[in-house]
Amino acid sequence: MRRRSLRLRLLVTFGLGAFILSTLIASLTYVGVQRILVSNQQQTDLQQSYVNAALVRATLYSSPPELSNLLNSIEQATAANVLVRTHGQWLARSNNASFVDVSLKTINSVDRGHATEQTLEVDGKTIFVVGVPIPSVETQDFEIFKLDHLEHTLHELLLALGLGALVTTIIGMLGGLWVTRRTVRPLEEVSLAAALIADGALTTRLQVNQADREVEQLTESFNQMVSQLVERLERDARFASDVSHELRSPLTTLATTASVLQQHRSDLSPAGQESLDLLLADLSIFQSLVEDLLEMARSDAGAGALVMETMPAVELVRQSVRSASARHAISEPPTEVADGTGEPFVRVDRKRFERVITNLVDNAHRYAGGAVAVRIDVEGPLLAVNVDDAGAGIPRDESDHVFERFYRGLAAHDRGIARGTGLGLALVRDHVRAFGGTIAVAESPEGGARFQILLPLVEADEL
Amino acid sequence: MSRILIVEDDDHIRTALRLMFEGEGYIVDDAPTGEVGIALFNRMASDMAIVDIMLPGMSGFETCLALRNASDCPIVIVSARDDTADVVLGLESGADDYVTKPFVPEELLARVKAHLRRRPEKSTGAFQLGTLHVIPDEGVVRQHDGAELHLTSTEFRLLTDLASNNGKALSREDLLERVWGYDYFGDSRLVDVHIRRLRMKIEPDPANPCFLVTVRGTGYKLVI
Repeated sequence: MRRRSLRLRLLVTFGLGAFILSTLIASLTYVGVQRILVSNQQQTDLQQSYVNAALVRATLYSSPPELSNLLNSIEQATAANVLVRTHGQWLARSNNASFVDVSLKTINSVDRGHATEQTLEVDGKTIFVVGVPIPSVETQDFEIFKLDHLEHTLHELLLALGLGALVTTIIGMLGGLWVTRRTVRPLEEVSLAAALIADGALTTRLQVNQADREVEQLTESFNQMVSQLVERLERDARFASDVSHELRSPLTTLATTASVLQQHRSDLSPAGQESLDLLLADLSIFQSLVEDLLEMARSDAGAGALVMETMPAVELVRQSVRSASARHAISEPPTEVADGTGEPFVRVDRKRFERVITNLVDNAHRYAGGAVAVRIDVEGPLLAVNVDDAGAGIPRDESDHVFERFYRGLAAHDRGIARGTGLGLALVRDHVRAFGGTIAVAESPEGGARFQILLPLVEADEL
Repeated sequence: MSRILIVEDDDHIRTALRLMFEGEGYIVDDAPTGEVGIALFNRMASDMAIVDIMLPGMSGFETCLALRNASDCPIVIVSARDDTADVVLGLESGADDYVTKPFVPEELLARVKAHLRRRPEKSTGAFQLGTLHVIPDEGVVRQHDGAELHLTSTEFRLLTDLASNNGKALSREDLLERVWGYDYFGDSRLVDVHIRRLRMKIEPDPANPCFLVTVRGTGYKLVI
């Protein structure tokens, strides 16, 4: 299952939470306010109706012809459309009043002597109809109130509440963002620092964040862990280095003495000569091993021992291949430069670069019948140096391990091959990394192994 | 027969080296300290010296300087560490070459033989280098007032080999082969340090060389 980002999840949770909460509150507010407003208005309208009905009754007693005028003046003063009905006939109405707005049901109810109120939707508008019986003159008074202005108010309220909900949602998301930063940032920092440390930047430490106790604890224990790890690494490296240094003198004596014995070889019995050969062969491995261990210790000591120089890449590779082949007395593979390579420059420690090429060429010689070519190419901002052979290739599951110290692949076990130290490729990787480059195994055009070094190109220095 | 001085404080290594060189037919004097070594060197007029850098008392560097002041003979230092600083310091104190422990005895032997083998120098006539007059036949460099400018034999060979190449550049590997006589081993730093030493002696401004110039990507050439 694909993991979703914690950052996204927190953000969505906060945003959604704020949205649901604010919408709920807005809806409740709206419904409540609407109820209160409408019922208040209806109460007012109802009271107004009774007052108006009293006026109608008074007018019918005193001067019935004035009724129309009265209705109009009521309409003007209270915005209520008034209709008066008597003996099943409409008697009078104010100017803007319409008979159709009054339902038969209301009329019947009022006819029976009940004061009646009804809320109706007419042409999309809400009206409030009040019927008041005036039994003393056998008349019914109907008043129609419009609730339009209320709707307008409610509409505005809805808009305000909606806007409020939106703002709350945004604030919620911003809050989510803030919380996310607070919680995810330290995690990201830890992950970044761990990656840097894994890449060899052992001085990397987290800045102690004192804002949050939990984060402070995390950073502190992380830093402590790294310090202890580094200390341990240094102790191990120092131990290997010390051991190798201590081995140098006796090894020198051994090797020199063995070569003195070699000078007197003819004085030895056949058994003595055979023993001497074994001694010499293993001394040579022993010597290479100590040399490699010492070089490894130097490499572990860090970049301080590096002597970086800006070098023309093609010539550097060519000379390195030449001296590598000469050093191991093996036939020199051709150096092939891809078209359009130009004159690239790289920044390396020359001696260590020579060592890299030497070890790769020697590796190809030991396990793959020799390198067929060393190919140079430019790939974007990188220089590719490919040491290709036509051997059996390296199985995919081994390709990550061949650069490990003392790793021995199948090839090394299978055949009667002169043993290497098991450190050659590990040194290669250490050196290439020290130059800011990478190394990987791929398949060569010949079907064998390709060791590809990628180094960053640099501008040539001023001479 | 050539006479070799070995200055080495480790008894076992010193004895083994003496046995090996004697087995090759050299006459060997050995000394456990720099002081004893210098005294032996002066008394025996050694043809060559092998000096360990890590010595009790007088250091290998100081011993080298003293030997160099006394003679132009080849000096090979045995360095405990392969750090560039150590190697460069050793070469700057006058050594012609270095090996690092644990060295392959055959390699040391080959280097010693190469240094002692007086290869016939490439015939090149006397030439002028600014105010300096170089006379390969006599093996001397004279300043404009006639005084001799002192070069070690390695420095002299470096200079005349570059001169004999008619102003064309020689790679570090070429120079190692021509001057030091090495077929393969050897470190290009050897060449760089010797070039720097030579520049200090012959260039009017060693920081901006006008005779011994670096050719990027190739090596060095001598502009006459």
